[in-house]
Amino acid sequence: MKRNTKLLRATAGCLAACAGLWAFFIWRAPIDSMQGPLQKILYVHVPCVLGAYLGFALTAASGALYLWRRDERFDRLSAASAEVGVLFCTLVLLTGPIWAKGTWGRWWTWDLRLTLTLLLYLVYVSYLLLRSFTEGSERAARFAAVYAIAGLTVIPLNYFAIDLAGGRTVHPENLGRGSLGAGMGAPFALGMLTAFAAFAHLLVRRLEVGALRAALDRAEAEAMRREA
Amino acid sequence: MSALYAVLWKDLVSEWRSRDRLVAMGVFSLLVVVVLYLAAPPGVGPEARAHVPGLLWVAYLFAGVLGLNRAFATELENEALSLLALAPVERGFVFLGKALASFVLLLVVQLATAIAFALAFDLDLWPVAGRLAGVAALGAAGLCSVGTLFSAMAVRTQYREVMLPLLLLPLLVPVLLGAVRATNALLLEGTLPWPALQLLLVTDGVFAIVSFLTFEVVLDE
Repeated sequence: MKRNTKLLRATAGCLAACAGLWAFFIWRAPIDSMQGPLQKILYVHVPCVLGAYLGFALTAASGALYLWRRDERFDRLSAASAEVGVLFCTLVLLTGPIWAKGTWGRWWTWDLRLTLTLLLYLVYVSYLLLRSFTEGSERAARFAAVYAIAGLTVIPLNYFAIDLAGGRTVHPENLGRGSLGAGMGAPFALGMLTAFAAFAHLLVRRLEVGALRAALDRAEAEAMRREA
Repeated sequence: MSALYAVLWKDLVSEWRSRDRLVAMGVFSLLVVVVLYLAAPPGVGPEARAHVPGLLWVAYLFAGVLGLNRAFATELENEALSLLALAPVERGFVFLGKALASFVLLLVVQLATAIAFALAFDLDLWPVAGRLAGVAALGAAGLCSVGTLFSAMAVRTQYREVMLPLLLLPLLVPVLLGAVRATNALLLEGTLPWPALQLLLVTDGVFAIVSFLTFEVVLDE
């Protein structure tokens, strides 16, 4: 527990430093001539995507590791990553439409990337529901790992399916090297760093909660055994 | 392999004796057709009828989910599921047996639904019947493979009837889009687009492999 406290302090420190600098650089960033201040949502929206994808990839990877090694620490990592990933994806799906309404004139469009993100979100929300509705931590871990793997395999299939259905994309392409204007690089990079620090901090916090819950379950089981 | 035939035979015989799953799926599917017609009646001309194939697949999907929900519910009686898990056979073949039984039942319901749908929506399905059956079978295969896997999980959760569609629907998008697109082209233009068939074939293959391999850990007590 001591090691976790140190890790928590380190990630919280990183997060606070990055967030402060990030806010300052966003404030100083140039205002877009076409979109106005609304464009600054880019510095929040894209970094949140990083947190969401990182969370979902980690969920499936640690789920697969759990099935292989049957070590409950992998399961706790899987559950924590899914929760943090869903949180970041919620932010993506909230900030995206705000930007879209200002630039495209509508809150939502069934664009390839938007639809894929929404489906991914629904898969991981269902993953969390599956965890909470399954009794027994070992069974929940197994079911959740299988679902996370199935959820990951469906991503490329969804890509082709939506492409086939004519989901022409209006979403801006991924940012390439040098595609950001002067003064935009620093807040963007800091945004990425802040999202990563926030992801790490929340993950460590959620892992600690998971470890405490597991310890409590063990203590309760031990007490019941003694009573019997 | 003998486990596959044994499970398939057991499921089909018990269904033949009770017929409750088939009747429930069939009646529900007919009700869905009636409700869909009342909610979204087709107009005249190809533009106004473009949504009709999508509605047919909604009916198939609902019937399929209803049937899959029962696929493992019957195994809970007398702890048959535990005995299935204890059987000294490759569990992947148990999965294939259960999935094939659901597939056969869904095909029967799909046939009845297509006839009711053709009558309600005034469609002449006869000239494309063979190809339409092929598309329906490909869609049903995808639905039943991953559906059987999730049904085995959902049946051992709280709110099991709600859990299955929650798990299944977000993952069924490739099957649904491929099948609706193929059916649409078939009904409106009389052609079968290869990309949609490719998508269905690949999705069916991926779902079958993932389900076959992971069923092993799902069936554990």
